Formats: sequence, C-alpha cells, structure tokens
Amino acid sequence: MNSIIIGQYIPGKGFLYRLDPRTKMISIIFLMVSVFLLQNVYQLFIAFGIGILVLLFGRISLLKVIKGLKPIFLLLIFTFIFQIALNKSGDVVSDTTMHINLYSIGAVVLAFVIWRILVRFNKLKMLLFLVFVVGIYFIFRYITYSPDFYSFQFTIYEKGLEMSAFVVVRLLIIITLTTILTLTTKPTDLTQGMESLLHPLKKIGFNSEEFALIISISLRYIPTIFDEAQKIMLAQASRGADFSEGKLKDKLKQIVSLLVPMFIIAFIRSEELADAMESRNFVPGQKRTRINILTFSIVDVYTFVFTLLCFAGAIVAKVVL
Amino acid sequence: MGIRFKEVSHEYPSYSKTMYKAIQNISLDIEAKDEFIALVGHTGSGKSTLAKHMNALIFPTSGTVEIFGNEITKKRNKKIKYNNIRQKVGLVFQFPEYQLFEETVEKDIMFGPLNFKVSHEEAKKMALSALNMVGLDKSYLERNPFNLSGGEKKRVSVAGILAIDPEILVLDEPTSGLDPAGKHIMMDLFREIHEKTGKTVIIITHDMDLVYQYFNRVIVLKDGELTFDGSPDALFRSDILESNHLDLPNTIKTLKFLKDEYKLDIDIYKKTVEEAAMEINEVMSDE
Repeated sequence: MNSIIIGQYIPGKGFLYRLDPRTKMISIIFLMVSVFLLQNVYQLFIAFGIGILVLLFGRISLLKVIKGLKPIFLLLIFTFIFQIALNKSGDVVSDTTMHINLYSIGAVVLAFVIWRILVRFNKLKMLLFLVFVVGIYFIFRYITYSPDFYSFQFTIYEKGLEMSAFVVVRLLIIITLTTILTLTTKPTDLTQGMESLLHPLKKIGFNSEEFALIISISLRYIPTIFDEAQKIMLAQASRGADFSEGKLKDKLKQIVSLLVPMFIIAFIRSEELADAMESRNFVPGQKRTRINILTFSIVDVYTFVFTLLCFAGAIVAKVVL
Repeated sequence: MGIRFKEVSHEYPSYSKTMYKAIQNISLDIEAKDEFIALVGHTGSGKSTLAKHMNALIFPTSGTVEIFGNEITKKRNKKIKYNNIRQKVGLVFQFPEYQLFEETVEKDIMFGPLNFKVSHEEAKKMALSALNMVGLDKSYLERNPFNLSGGEKKRVSVAGILAIDPEILVLDEPTSGLDPAGKHIMMDLFREIHEKTGKTVIIITHDMDLVYQYFNRVIVLKDGELTFDGSPDALFRSDILESNHLDLPNTIKTLKFLKDEYKLDIDIYKKTVEEAAMEINEVMSDE
C-alpha cells in the first residue's frame, strides 16, 4: 500500500507512443468489435497472432503486457476449467475416472502446502496456481492405491476444449488491446482524446470539456487523497486506534475517525483547488487553448487503414464463412 | 530507558528503482524522564520519519528501536502490543486536521483515553484536565472542533494526546503557522508540562530562537543522518551549522553583527532578547 500508480503508462518509444490518442481509442473499439465478430477458435488464433505482431512492431515488451494481464489471470483459469468441465457437446476427447481416496486427498493437501510455500518465494504466482490445478487433476486421476470414497467420470469433449480456448483467447486479445492503450497513453492524453471524441455531443447538451476536466482532476487527486488517508491513519493510531488490533465494535468507531478527517481534508483540498483555478482566471465553459494540440499524422492514417482492414476481414469471416 | 535507536534505517519505496532512504544508521538514546529535546534539520532530513519510529507507527527497515523494553524490528511481532507503546509515547502530528473528527472538543479529546480502555467518567476528567493544560477553559468542551481557529485546533489536538497521559510526548512542529506570541505561549506550555510532570518532551522545530531559548538537548539530522546530538550552546558555538543548513538564533546573529562590525568586546551567546539587550547596554556603558 506504499505507492499507488494510476494508469499503467510506461514511457517508451515506438509507433504506438506517437499515435494520436483518438486514433488509438477508435481503433481499439473497432478491433474489439472485430474480435467479437469472429466465429471460431482458428480465426481467433490468427487475430491473436496479429495482436502479437502489433506488440512486436510497436516494440512493447510482452512481459509488460503479461503483467497487465495479472489481475484477470485467475478469471481466465476459471473460465478455462469451467468450459472444459461443463461443456458437453461434440466428440469425446478423453474420458477418465477420478478417484477420491485417502491417498489422493493427502496428496492434494501436500500439493496445496507446497504451492503455498512456493508462492512465498516465487513471483509467478498465477503460473503456480495453474500448475496446482493441473496437479490436482493428475492426482485424482492416477492415485488409486486405496479404496475410493467416491469416484466420478471426468470427460473432456472436443467442443468443450474448443470453446474454452475460444473464450480464453478472446478475453486475452481484448485485455491485451486495452493494455496497449493504457500502457502507451498518458492519462492526460487519454482524457484529452476522450474530450475531443465526445465533443460532438455538445449539441445534445453534454459538455465534454467539463467531463474531461472532472476525470483529469479525479485522477490527479487519487494519490494525494491516498497519501492523506495514510497520514490520518497514523495520527489516529497515535491515539490508540490501531486498525489491525481491537474488536469489531471498536473498529467501526475507528473507521469513523478515519472517514471524517478524510472528508474534511477532501473539502479543504477542493476549495483550495477551486480558488487556485479561479485566481488563474479559469472560467467554466470558456474556450481554452492547449499546450499540446492533438494532431493526426501519417502514422495515424496507416493505423486507421490497418484497423479497417482487420474489421473488414472480420466481417468477411462472419458473412462468408 | 525510554527510547533507544540502534542503527536504525528506514527506506521508502520510490518510483525509481532505488529506494529512498529517509533515515540511515541512527543510533540514539532518549531517557524516559526529564529530557526536553529539539529535533531539527532542514526539510526532507527525516525528522518526521524519526518521530514516527518513536511510537512504532512505522517500523525500521533495518536496525531496532527499543521503546520501553519493546524491541521494534522490521517485522511486526505478534507478542508486542503496539497500542500500549502508543500509550507510552504520544505523537502529535503537525496538522490538527488529520486527527480531529468528533462533533465536540470533549468527545474528540476523549477518543484517545477511551481507546486505551479508560472508563467513560475517567476519560471525561482527563479531557478536562488536558484541555486546561493546553490553556483552554471548559467553555471549549462543547464547541465544535472544526469551528475553532488554527491555534485553538492545534491546542485541542495536543490535548487529545495529553489526555492519553503518555510518558514521552513527541510533537511534530507544534509551533508552525502560529504568530510569534502564539509560539511562545505554546513553548511555555510544553516547558511547563515538562517541568510539572517530568515527562520527556521531544519537539520538531525549525525555529532556532526557540531551540536556543527552551531546550537543553538538540538532535540535528541531515539527509537522514544524525549529525549532532548535544546542547544548543554547543551547537551554536560549533561550525557545523552551515553544512547542516541551519541558521543562528536572531540574538546571536544580531550580537555577532555588532561584534564584527563595531569591534565590540561582547558576549554574543545570549538566549533571549532581554539578555541580549542587557549585554548591549552593559557594553555600551563601558565604552
């Protein structure tokens, strides 16, 4: 909890960094729609290959993208497992009897302990989890030395295998796409791009400038507020409100002692900010100039062409195949 | 023994790969009684980090801090009741906004004692006596802490810690943002608390005048390292001030100027303005 970084922007070079944020956002929306248009797992693999090519071409290290995938890795594993276990159509790929007995349960417990110990030293926690899950499968399948308490048939169907790969790869592509966006675009550029894209909505009364301002101010103040919260926590801990000790009833009171100063400081901050903005002649709704003006370049044109090609390809795949 | 630092370092994680060292290799002894210590150093020298170690709010990344017999190390020790340490060493933060939260001053001051399992009536009594100690009368008890002036808020936040009745009192810049008169009132107050109860008081300050006038021990930090530990007299007579980004007190500055400019035979080490004026008078009448 010591440091919090908003957004995953990592400075770098490569064409993805030089792209206009608007291009990136529009392209990613189109590419996502294309991914959803794809019908089967083979097309998806092709799309995945193209995605990796884009990453390589944009000189983004795969490791960073994998790091971005971390939070949803668990979801991916579960989707995979459930699809395999529950989808029961198509040909049978493998049909095995799973044995639950004294030895296999013991082995599972042992595997669990080993997994937890390894997690402490290793950074590849999710990979270990995957190994653990696969390990459980093999333990139940092969350890048959004592009478079973219970046994059941575990059948993997072709369709199940295909669908699980389909869902997982689709998710992977989509997350990779969004990671590319957040990895290569500063939060300020993102909001500016969004503001520019939403500008036409002004006709129906939606003020995109104010919207963008709200977003950028909130992003800016998340670390500040977080910092303040830590200071308040320490100040109250000094008065005996240690959040890691004590009963539930005391804890409720302690949370109040954290929240009230939090709100008051947030209000003080916002008033100060409002004063500072006004003293620099900020008037809501006025036309303002910018230091960095978004401009499209030739790279953006190439990107649009590429995106439209992908989109057209997906539509063709949907209609023709 | 009150607090003993043994080669304590604390590193904060920072955005770059290297860690930011707030304090390094600090060894220090602070008695549980009868000390009145100033902790000085320029901005970012690690004063506040050091203060937070004194009641185990943060743990050293290396070395140990011994607080009333409890050894605080890098890892949280389940056997140590950290709450009890905080009852023994009270830390007042710089900004009262970080701790005031109740709707009345009385309730806010009672928050600390109640956390330390003092009975309601007892806490009420403690609140009143703590409030009196910081120089506010009982008409303040029912007031809303957020409607007080800056100086009054500061006093209430100090009272909130005093009510816990800690053996050692640590204050992070209690005089910042106060006018000169207010500064002296607050310092007199701490001096009085110290003299009456014999509690050790540690005060972080930037004000060299106050350091010279009030304290009998100064700890100087520079870039996280301990560079001086001794009496204010020794500090201001030494030649380490400039390298530590510290200033001379105004009295010494003035007298020194007179001495250098007019070649007067004058004792420049006078603590208060009155003493300095008397010295000048004496020297002038001799001339």
